[in-house]
Amino acid sequence: MSTDILFLAEFAAGRPARSALELATGAAELAASAGGAAVGLAYGLGAADGAAALGAHGAGRVIVLGDQDRPAIAHVGAAVAAVRDAGALALLAPATPNGRDLAAALVGLLELPAFGPVRAARIVDGAVETEQATLQGSVITTSRPVDGASTPSVVLVLPNTFTPAEGGGGSAEVTTATDPGDSPFARVKVVESHEADARVANLDEATVIVAGGRGVGGEEGFGLLRDLAGVLGGAVGASRAAADAGWIAYQLQIGQTGKVVKPQLYIGAGISGAIQHKVGMQTAEHVIAINRDPDAPIGEFADLYVVGDLFQIVPALTAEIRRRKGG
Amino acid sequence: MKIVVCIKQVPATGADKRYTDDFRLDRSGVEAIINPLDEYAIEQALRLVDSGGADTVTYLSMGPEQAAEALRRALAMGGDDAVLVTDSALAGADEWATAMVLAAALDKLAPDVALMGMASDDARGSLVPGAVAAKRGLPLLSYGAELTVADGAARIRRLSATGYDWIEAPLPVVATVTDQVGEPRYASLKGIMAAKRKQLETWSLADLGLDAAALRGAALTRVTASVPPEAKPPTERIENVAAAEAATRIADWLAARKLI
Repeated sequence: MSTDILFLAEFAAGRPARSALELATGAAELAASAGGAAVGLAYGLGAADGAAALGAHGAGRVIVLGDQDRPAIAHVGAAVAAVRDAGALALLAPATPNGRDLAAALVGLLELPAFGPVRAARIVDGAVETEQATLQGSVITTSRPVDGASTPSVVLVLPNTFTPAEGGGGSAEVTTATDPGDSPFARVKVVESHEADARVANLDEATVIVAGGRGVGGEEGFGLLRDLAGVLGGAVGASRAAADAGWIAYQLQIGQTGKVVKPQLYIGAGISGAIQHKVGMQTAEHVIAINRDPDAPIGEFADLYVVGDLFQIVPALTAEIRRRKGG
Repeated sequence: MKIVVCIKQVPATGADKRYTDDFRLDRSGVEAIINPLDEYAIEQALRLVDSGGADTVTYLSMGPEQAAEALRRALAMGGDDAVLVTDSALAGADEWATAMVLAAALDKLAPDVALMGMASDDARGSLVPGAVAAKRGLPLLSYGAELTVADGAARIRRLSATGYDWIEAPLPVVATVTDQVGEPRYASLKGIMAAKRKQLETWSLADLGLDAAALRGAALTRVTASVPPEAKPPTERIENVAAAEAATRIADWLAARKLI
């Protein structure tokens, strides 16, 4: 076993996902305390060309699993070989559908301890130690692998748990994994692709999210939220109720069955704050709720609760922030 | 075409949950339900039967003896029979151990489609389906908003970054579905009565040919500490003010935290 830390580096449409940069830095932090190096496992369109640049964010070495636009799970065969060779202490994976699928297959095939999704990870006494919100956020648990467990420990990591280091300038050493080609997962094929919304912001990359729920009332209401998100440099999200109503794309749904986000600032407008939504945003650093109902559940976990009409307050706030920014 | 739906019994959403002293879920006095996201997998399986795409539906669960209640409840919604894997050696099982046990039970049941919910209410890793697929050497079709089966292959409709894809694999497969498949049906009174006569078998680890020692205490992970979340400062409130005043005060609040 080495003291290296592996991370999954997802690429799409020719560039690395924000999670790839965050996990490169996270893996480098853990590797520094363990005395090893951060080693990326890169896959998706653009992985081959973009792998070396992950060095700027902390990666010492990157192994390219594949550069095709396929479901991540198709790369399991190559990933297993790379993970066996690396003999690392831990593997950080993004808590996204693709990251979870690839991580899960490694857990099943290599008999690995699995953690997460976690809000913090560190190396203590030669093993990974994680912090996770469990029982619907009512407790924070610390976990470790049992003595003698195989390595690497697989750790699902929430977005924005690590802040990408910039300007490292270094270039990662890049190698290409050999795909054994006999993986049953390679039989999973995309047979049709449909574009629904040409422009859907990537919530995983947003540090500010303005989310709307049933109280937003329709597509027009989401226009107001988009304006506010615009002046804050953020993205628009939604509760399931708003997505089910067809006011906004499902890609922007936050919650148990949508995205799990961890922005610096979350503003919820017309969102009651049901448990299913809460588990998708409870680790946001700052939470503002704007709601007509003075007693909505979101008041129990908001830092600032504004009781009033979002159709008046949101545009007024947009104008006020624009004014302060001198725009 | 045979479907096995894997379900998990969990504490009711919103129930007051606690850990025991050894960091296991304290199930005493907490209402137990079918994991709500598993009900969508049940609904999807029953819709395939309704449309003639599937012939039989079997439910599979791993858990304590009382998890049989969840299986009876599923049988009341529809389907044919159920299997509960229960063994004292499985208390506190983690995702890896759960996947190994489900994989062994699925090997024995040999379905064309092993179907699961996309996540469980009480553990949020969503790692079990992929680990089961890997252990069984089968393709995984995950996060389907819809599942269809035809001509020896299964297909799911899955959200992509900007739209959706149809993803296909030859049978047999392991698949998971989301809450987009359609609202789960209620059990009718007739269904509840019929469920009492449906077969519910109980299997032990020995029945699966699994050795408790090989499952390594049912967990490769352990919880070493559990604390309440950091106390947040009390919620500040802005109310009974005009929109312009509210906007100014929100902007002040943001500025004080260097968020604008």
